Formats: sequence, C-alpha cells, structure tokens
Amino acid sequence: MNYYKQKELLLALFITCLLMISSIFTFGQTTINPDTVCVNAIGEQYFVTNTPTSTYQWNILGGGGTLQTGQGSSSITVDWGATGGLYINAVEVIESNAAGCPGSPILLDIFVLDLSGNSIGPFCPGDPTSTLVGNPVGGTWSGTGVTSNLFDPATAGVGNYILTYTMAGCNTTINVIVNNGPVTGPIQHF
Amino acid sequence: MKRLLFILFILFSLNANSQCISNQSFTIAPVGPYTPGQVVTINYTLGNFTGIFINWIHAFEINLGLGWTNLTPITTPLNPAGSAGNWVWDLQHTFVGGLNFGPGWRFNNTGNVDWGTSSIGPFTMSFEVTVGQTCTPDNLNISMLVIDDCTTGGWTGGGGACCIDPAFDIYNGVVQIINPITSNINHY
Repeated sequence: MNYYKQKELLLALFITCLLMISSIFTFGQTTINPDTVCVNAIGEQYFVTNTPTSTYQWNILGGGGTLQTGQGSSSITVDWGATGGLYINAVEVIESNAAGCPGSPILLDIFVLDLSGNSIGPFCPGDPTSTLVGNPVGGTWSGTGVTSNLFDPATAGVGNYILTYTMAGCNTTINVIVNNGPVTGPIQHF
Repeated sequence: MKRLLFILFILFSLNANSQCISNQSFTIAPVGPYTPGQVVTINYTLGNFTGIFINWIHAFEINLGLGWTNLTPITTPLNPAGSAGNWVWDLQHTFVGGLNFGPGWRFNNTGNVDWGTSSIGPFTMSFEVTVGQTCTPDNLNISMLVIDDCTTGGWTGGGGACCIDPAFDIYNGVVQIINPITSNINHY
C-alpha cells in the first residue's frame, strides 16, 4: 500500500515538473535575435507579454512579411516572403497604455532562411561516397543512401531518390539520380 | 549692522507677503502625485482679510497648471457680515479696471457694483479638478490668488495702494506619466 502511494506521489511530482517546464517554454519563451524563419512561412506567431489595458501597434518592416492577424493585440501572425536574407528591425511593436501613451518601440530582426538551390549528382553506382554540402551550410541531409551527410551511390543503388536538407526548422528536397553504368560486352577479336 | 539690515529686510518681506490676508489653509484629496484622469478635490479657507486703505476683498482666482482640466466649483464661499451681494463663480470676467479674471469666485456687490465685500472672513470654498489625459509631464500647480477691489479697479479711494499678497500655493507638481514597458518580441 505504501509502495503504491509513493509511486503515485512520484508520478504526480513528475507530471507537475513536466507542466512547469512546459509552461516555461510556452509563456516565458525568449526568442533569440535575429529570429529565423523559412522562406514563404505562413502563420508565424509573434507575441509580447500582454497587458490587458494596453493596445499594440505592430509593423512588419521587411522580409516580405505580411501581418495577417492580431493587429492591436499582443499576439500576431505573419506570412513571410520568398526572398531569403537578414532583415534588420523587420518586426516592430509599440505598446500604448490606457491613456494612449506609447512605450518604446520593440524590434526584432528576422533571418529568412532559403534552402533552395541545392543540387547534387548524378551518380553512377560505382562512384565513391560523396559529402553532401548544403546551402547554407550547417544543416542535415537525410534520405536513401545518406549517412552523416554522406551519400553512398552504391548503398542507394540505381534509381531516383529524394533527399531532404533540414536546417533551423526549415527543409527542402532535391532529386538525386544514380544512373545505370554502361554494360560492356566481352572483348572480341576480329 | 549688515545683520540688522538683513533681519529688517526679512521682516519687511514677510510683512509684504501677507499684507492683507492671513490664515490661509487648504486640504487636498487625494494627496499627489497624480496620474491622468484623477479627480482631485481642494478645500481652501482664507481665515482673515484686512484690507489697507479700506480695500475690500473682491475675488478668489484659481490658478491652474496646464495639466488640469474640468475645473468644477463645489462649495461657494459665504459672506459673513459683509456687503450686500453674493459670491459668483466665473470662468472669465473683466473687471472695471481692465483686470482679466478667472476662473474663480468674485463678489457681486449689489450696492456698489464695482466694489468687493466688507467681510473680513472667514471664507471657505471648495472645488474639484481633473488631471487631463496626457503623455507628457504637464504642470499641475494649483494656487489661489486673493484680489482686492483696489486691484480690480473698483475702489480708488485708497490712492492706488492695493493689496499685493502673492498667490497661495496649494500644490506644486507635474503629471506622473507611466509609459508602458514592453517585453521582447517572442516567436512561438
């Protein structure tokens, strides 16, 4: 009986800790500046700590971003553009209190991450293992024949494969072809 | 000798600063500092007015800093043992001598229209005033200026010797502005 009670107590403590950690990440999240988003990202949510009597003026000043929802509130959604790059002060918010007095503008830089433009191959079955280098560097490749960012045509075999390049929550895919090698007949003597 | 002259100067200054009026007091509620939208009530009492050269009290002018709005009278002063007439509230009035008055109370003498009242007090009055909506630390000073009928031009029998009592300070301060402090922008 005591054993089960202790077990239940430990379980309750464990769940409490999980909830606390979850709430820290949900409500106390602090975004590193610049914030990274994927090209053409849709419905990205930005927020500041809400003061119920305040209103919030949001301005999207770069990155091809468009404010979709939430103007006036402490939380908005933004759709980002198709051109990658670093956009300084791309997100701005100005809070006004109940008397209409504005606070200092709060700004966030945005790095729009574009993973397109990667390509590799084609390969032949006998080709050596190739290092997959993504653009920009620093991401992770996955797919058939890929191990630790190395592509082995022999392991993949002949065929057409889709490899995925993942970085900072963004990903892109490329087609990689491993062609058949030439089939050469025996040497003949005229 | 110098010290004696200094003391005489101080005594003269004190006398000059309370030439005709004495025993001024006030209450103010709530006590400052003040934020936009706050309503403040002031009770003011002039205990005694003794005019020189038969100068009579004629008006109480409320001087407000630009941060105040919505000045409203609550209690009108009485006229104990005074001349025929009554105190009236005015936002603006030009006295016979050209003095631009207001806002405040002025005595409406029904016998000699340009004179004040012979009453020496006490005079108690109250008013309400609101801190305006603003985002800047506007001036919230409040003072009461007591004006005699020599100053207003209504009484000239004193040979131009008017009471020169300075305005009585009730409050000195500015609007307390609390601008919002916004957290950093976060991204889910």
